[in-house]
Amino acid sequence: MVVNPGEVPDYEPLQELFRPHIESFDYMVEAGLDAMFQNIKSVEVRDPFTKKKLRIWVSSPEVFPPQKERLSRKNYAALLPFECRQAKISYTGKLGADVCFQYDGGAIIREKFNFGSLPIMLKSKLCHLRGANPQKLVSYKEEASEMGGYFILNGLERVARLLILPKRNYPMSLVRNSFSDRREGYSDKAVAIRCVRADQSSVSVRLYYLRSGSARLGFWLKGREFLLPVGIILKALVDTTDHEIYVNLTCCYNEKHEKGKGAVGTQLVGERAKIILDEVRDLSLFTRLQCLEYIGKHFQPLMDGLDHDSYPIVAETVIKDHILVHLDNNFDKFNLLIFMLQKLFSLIDQTSVPDNPDSLQNQEVLLPGHLITIYLKEKLEDWLQKGKKLLEEELQDKSDKFDFCSLAHVKKVLDKNPPRSVSTAVENMLKSGRLVTQTGLDLQQRTGYSVQAERLNFLRFLSHFRAVHRGASFAGLRTTTVRKLLPDSWGFLCPVHTPDGEPCGLLNHMTSTCRVTSFFDSKGKIKDYFKIKMSILKILVEVGMKPSLPKLVLAGPPEVLTVFLDGCIVGSIPSGQVDKVVGYLRRLKVSSAAVIPNDLEVGYVPLSIGGPYPGLYLFTSPSRFVRPVRNLLVPSNGSENSELIGPFEQVFMEIRCPDGGDGGRKSAFPATHEEIHPTGMLSVVANLTPWSDHNQSPRNMYQCQMAKQTMGFSCQAIRNRADQKLYHLQTPQSPIVRTGTYTKYSIDEYPSGTNAIVAVLAYTGYDMEDAMILNKSSVERGMFHGQIYQTETIDLSEQRGRSGQASKMFRRSNIDKGSSRFLDSDGLPYVGQMIKPEDPYCSVYDEAKSSTFTYKRKGSEPVYVDYVSVDVKNKRNLQKVNIRFRHPRNPIIGDKFSSRHGQKGVCSQLWPDIDMPFSGTTGMRPDLIINPHAFPSRMTIAMLLESVAAKGGSLHGNFVDATPFRSSMKKDDGESEKSDSLVDELGVLLKEKGFNYHGVEVLYSGVYGTELTCEIFIGPVYYQRLRHMVSDKYQVRSTGMVDQVTRQPIKGRKRGGGIRFGEMERDSLLAHGAAYLLHDRLHTCSDYHIADVCSLCGSLLTTTFLQPQKRPAREIGGLPPGRAMKNVFCHACQTSKGMETIAMPYVFRYLAAELAAMNIKMTLQLSDKAGAGA
Amino acid sequence: MEGGASYARMPRVKIRELKDDYVKFELRDTDASIANSLRRVMIAEVPTVAIDLVEIEVNSSVLNDEFIAHRLGLIPLTSDRAMAMRFSRDCDACDGDGQCEFCSVEFHLRVKCMTDETLDVTSKDLYSSDHTVVPVDFPDPAGMEGSENRGIIIVKLRRGQELRLRAIARKGIGKDHAKWSPAATVTFMYEPEIHLNEDLMESLTLEEKKEWVESSPTRVFDIDSVTQQVVVVDREAYTYDDEVIKKAEAMGKPGLVEINAKQDSFIFTVESTGAIKASQLLLNAIDVLRQKLDAVRLSDDNVDTTEQFGELGSHLGGS
Repeated sequence: MVVNPGEVPDYEPLQELFRPHIESFDYMVEAGLDAMFQNIKSVEVRDPFTKKKLRIWVSSPEVFPPQKERLSRKNYAALLPFECRQAKISYTGKLGADVCFQYDGGAIIREKFNFGSLPIMLKSKLCHLRGANPQKLVSYKEEASEMGGYFILNGLERVARLLILPKRNYPMSLVRNSFSDRREGYSDKAVAIRCVRADQSSVSVRLYYLRSGSARLGFWLKGREFLLPVGIILKALVDTTDHEIYVNLTCCYNEKHEKGKGAVGTQLVGERAKIILDEVRDLSLFTRLQCLEYIGKHFQPLMDGLDHDSYPIVAETVIKDHILVHLDNNFDKFNLLIFMLQKLFSLIDQTSVPDNPDSLQNQEVLLPGHLITIYLKEKLEDWLQKGKKLLEEELQDKSDKFDFCSLAHVKKVLDKNPPRSVSTAVENMLKSGRLVTQTGLDLQQRTGYSVQAERLNFLRFLSHFRAVHRGASFAGLRTTTVRKLLPDSWGFLCPVHTPDGEPCGLLNHMTSTCRVTSFFDSKGKIKDYFKIKMSILKILVEVGMKPSLPKLVLAGPPEVLTVFLDGCIVGSIPSGQVDKVVGYLRRLKVSSAAVIPNDLEVGYVPLSIGGPYPGLYLFTSPSRFVRPVRNLLVPSNGSENSELIGPFEQVFMEIRCPDGGDGGRKSAFPATHEEIHPTGMLSVVANLTPWSDHNQSPRNMYQCQMAKQTMGFSCQAIRNRADQKLYHLQTPQSPIVRTGTYTKYSIDEYPSGTNAIVAVLAYTGYDMEDAMILNKSSVERGMFHGQIYQTETIDLSEQRGRSGQASKMFRRSNIDKGSSRFLDSDGLPYVGQMIKPEDPYCSVYDEAKSSTFTYKRKGSEPVYVDYVSVDVKNKRNLQKVNIRFRHPRNPIIGDKFSSRHGQKGVCSQLWPDIDMPFSGTTGMRPDLIINPHAFPSRMTIAMLLESVAAKGGSLHGNFVDATPFRSSMKKDDGESEKSDSLVDELGVLLKEKGFNYHGVEVLYSGVYGTELTCEIFIGPVYYQRLRHMVSDKYQVRSTGMVDQVTRQPIKGRKRGGGIRFGEMERDSLLAHGAAYLLHDRLHTCSDYHIADVCSLCGSLLTTTFLQPQKRPAREIGGLPPGRAMKNVFCHACQTSKGMETIAMPYVFRYLAAELAAMNIKMTLQLSDKAGAGA
Repeated sequence: MEGGASYARMPRVKIRELKDDYVKFELRDTDASIANSLRRVMIAEVPTVAIDLVEIEVNSSVLNDEFIAHRLGLIPLTSDRAMAMRFSRDCDACDGDGQCEFCSVEFHLRVKCMTDETLDVTSKDLYSSDHTVVPVDFPDPAGMEGSENRGIIIVKLRRGQELRLRAIARKGIGKDHAKWSPAATVTFMYEPEIHLNEDLMESLTLEEKKEWVESSPTRVFDIDSVTQQVVVVDREAYTYDDEVIKKAEAMGKPGLVEINAKQDSFIFTVESTGAIKASQLLLNAIDVLRQKLDAVRLSDDNVDTTEQFGELGSHLGGS
């Protein structure tokens, strides 16, 4: 269990968690970019005079590994990630591509263009860290276990966020009120499909139902939705007859099966088919050509570059580029459209239920590689379009000596729109997470595509890569339906690991066993989808599928089930045979020899009465969730029978718990699959909670939150890091009680807590209300000691003046001798130096102004200079330095701690060791005391178990396995359990060593030496120190900065402001009758002001202060200055008489002034008598 | 005070076991207050010497300066001289500077790793200016195979890394910082009195007796193999966990055994960190305790007790 020093732990399971990110990026650089470039349409520029045509397109993209910019051209040095982190630059590799030019169909001229630098994902195929073993990684100044999966942009580590998208190429029936608002006559029902091309760009199409019985196909073009009658599209797709359409549509209806199981059609289908066909006839469109011309005529103005083409060509392009784009073949599109209509009609007739778009069944995930590909595609298209526009403008401009036939001239014009901007756009997208796009890329949101991968501790870092967000658009939604935990996500998304509060249920985490399908097969080769499709088809035909080609009239459910393969209708299988076919396919999936990919999703939606629309939906596509389960139908030899299943098929499968029971399943539905281990439903972080099955479930959720806020051992390569802020625990320990996951993912490399001896008792009263008492001596011996590392980066090149000349340099001032105590002659601090607030830590000399500027420490605590790194890229003088400070943060009163069971508490006292209760037999004093009241209402039984187990474990010198749901696993050796309770197992361990069976001990008061007359529960519990520390939070103020306008104290801790004494606080003082205190808080300590008021006119504003006349005579005479004359004067009354001084809040004067500005005069009536004058 | 019966008792100490770092003794004829004050003084108020100030000249090791300083502080130093030393805060020789021979001991550490092997910097590398104050040497308990004794590891160095520092050790007490505490463990237990109800015990079968004996996690009772009677084998193994009493009740035999804690006799266990010998620790503790009591008594004679003890003084002064 324990890794011995020198032995390299197995990081493979850890790397596995990051695979979805890396594989998607790998595919992009390996093949995805090529595929994308092929899909970019060429642009054509015509010279209006010579009628010469120039076609421009891009091809052969190439991305290079990150390299340093060097002056010498020969030796390119590799740019390593740690250098980027320290120098605050981006880890990017050059993106080059050929731009091809062709005049009038002549020879193709290829020119290499530099499209800038594309951010490179760490540990992807282009990264220098790829394939490096731990030793090598350490020599590259990385973590030994570096997993990659993120980008380094401006020195910050950013992860592309995984987002939920609607499942690709699957027609989904929807009911939404907004559909009926679309236009008159629209119902609220539709069938939508998100079609994804080979280059991962997607186009959504919706089929709306009209109350008249017809349907409209809605597709997006130039940011607008266009709605076409389906009939036109159907006819425009293939040469067909009305009869054929009618038969195709009504094939799903058969009188025999009316209202029977699996019948989806009703007789109304026929009537609707007629309405659809009548609609087309009413437009007098009869043939395919007429339909195409009709479409072409209407869409030509909207299509770029087709101004000179005939209407049918325009229409073909519209269909090709915007309607059901995942299919190349019009015949397939026709079939799919017919199917969608049937599904729509069945939804209307309530023979099937709508699909739930919030269910994981109908969802997939957006991967970083795919996002970059589609974004890059749009940027390249934009670049070509812009280039075309520039060329056209140039051609219009007759005065210019622009030669259209000269490639050099054309290139010069193209360069006006720098090709580098393409990569810059991608970099900016990852930097800010913001998409800058006209079309929206068929995505739901514009922001939040990337987040910073904080290394607060290892678990938080890891969680960034496992997090899946539902989409920013749902965050604002008032309904909570999207946040609901649905049974469909079982095994894929963790039910425990979601934050409580605002993003609850929207930000989920993948379970530890969940994977995402990619373009790579298990051997690491790119899948050949054509070959896969062909082999699947071959197998399907072998087992009795009737292929959809040659064109035959298909029957519909319930006789046959339509077979889909990645959104393409490939045929139909008689419904009686489907069960067998599915079983056969699953067997092939599991057997490694078969050509069928092991992540094929066999979504068999069985016939039902009014259930989901039946069919056999096969998916081989990437970016689906999958997880392994055991297939019981395949004889088990070793691990051969684990099958990857997806959320779509899981809903219809019978998977049992591995406890050997049938889970209340009736014999009609025998289990075909079995979970591998119940912990597979939990995320990595949730899996680390020991015996989480013994806790109240919300406590496990809290623990998932707190594990990610823990101050732990953040980095092993901490010396080479320049993070803004890094929390670090000085003396972490490995937990005695741990789960299997802890060992599997080598969390020991990044421990995050201490095994503290915890006594549960109410001792001094300082442990009330979730406070806890720490043993002062334990703290002095190093328990929970820690630091915050904070880096300041000073980049002089950024502060360069207009001249662009580097005039600033790091240098100590010769005049100011005081700073030499802190600074070396190079203007930088000594390493190890303590720097107090307001002390200088860096000094910069400006040659232009010949002045020195010193940077001074802000804040309230002394820090140590931990490390100074300089950027030596500039040979002459230093321009960039990182100065890392170390804030010692040893526990003090007010710091926050928590166990691993959602039991957090604040340290209320550092209690002297001698006053702590002690055990008479062992002499042990607890490190930490918590109050017993923390348990009854929270029911964190696992914490008690942990205490007993850790005590037993430490007495025996073993680690204790605390994997949850152990009782739900069938015992392999078939031995019947001796004890059914965990306590019976743990108690024996204690008793063997002479301790109480239940983990309690007799303690003696440390103060009196007398026995505490109750048994006290005491034992080691793994405690975490949370990053919330008083030193970062305390706020005090007596006097200080005030607001300019109101003269009231300002807010904000940083600026030395106060804490708001608000309305409710005021109310409580009023209720107590604490008038003096109230007056003190709200007036004396706030904006106390003495104003002069003219009692004659009652004005506050017309009084002015007259400059007292100088009385030199009196001063010379040596007499004391006389009593100050009445030197306040009212301008309104032109007198000094009747002036009174009144104490008031300054805002009152401000109010008077504001009112005056609105032409409202405020007068005060003064009176001596309290209460008079009313 | 006068007039009534004298409550003065003469406590007795009987040493049972004595090792360099371990002592077990009985303390009789006194009460918990004395026993506990002895425990508290041993943990927190017997002075030792520990490194208190570290001046780091070079530190290129992986641990940061504070970490190393903290580790140095926790190294136990032989402190037999500590009682005679002065606290640097009231040392006249150096004006509280804490750098003179009366109140401090200087240490030097100069280590640089020149090989490819990891070099352990240990307490043995600390050079003391005073041969009486050196890092505690731990002899191997059972002559383990690694015969060379390397002391307490401070930090590990790799090639090229260096640690050079000067450290000042001062006298202090555990109350101020745990590093000055000479005691690893000091604990006492009340001596138990165990009365078995023989008659009731005889009503049990052998099985029941065994079961009852087994119910105690520690081996307090056993069954005489000859007479098959339950006998008390180790009174002091009893941890006051009441397990046997509960068991007896569960068996329907309440009163089977009666266990009382003797209020006036204690069994102490003292483990020292090695800074002072355990026996010396006890003696020093008694000394410190006496000094404290002397201070109280002295102030009793003084007129201005109120000044010295504040409110407490008035309680002490007025009889």
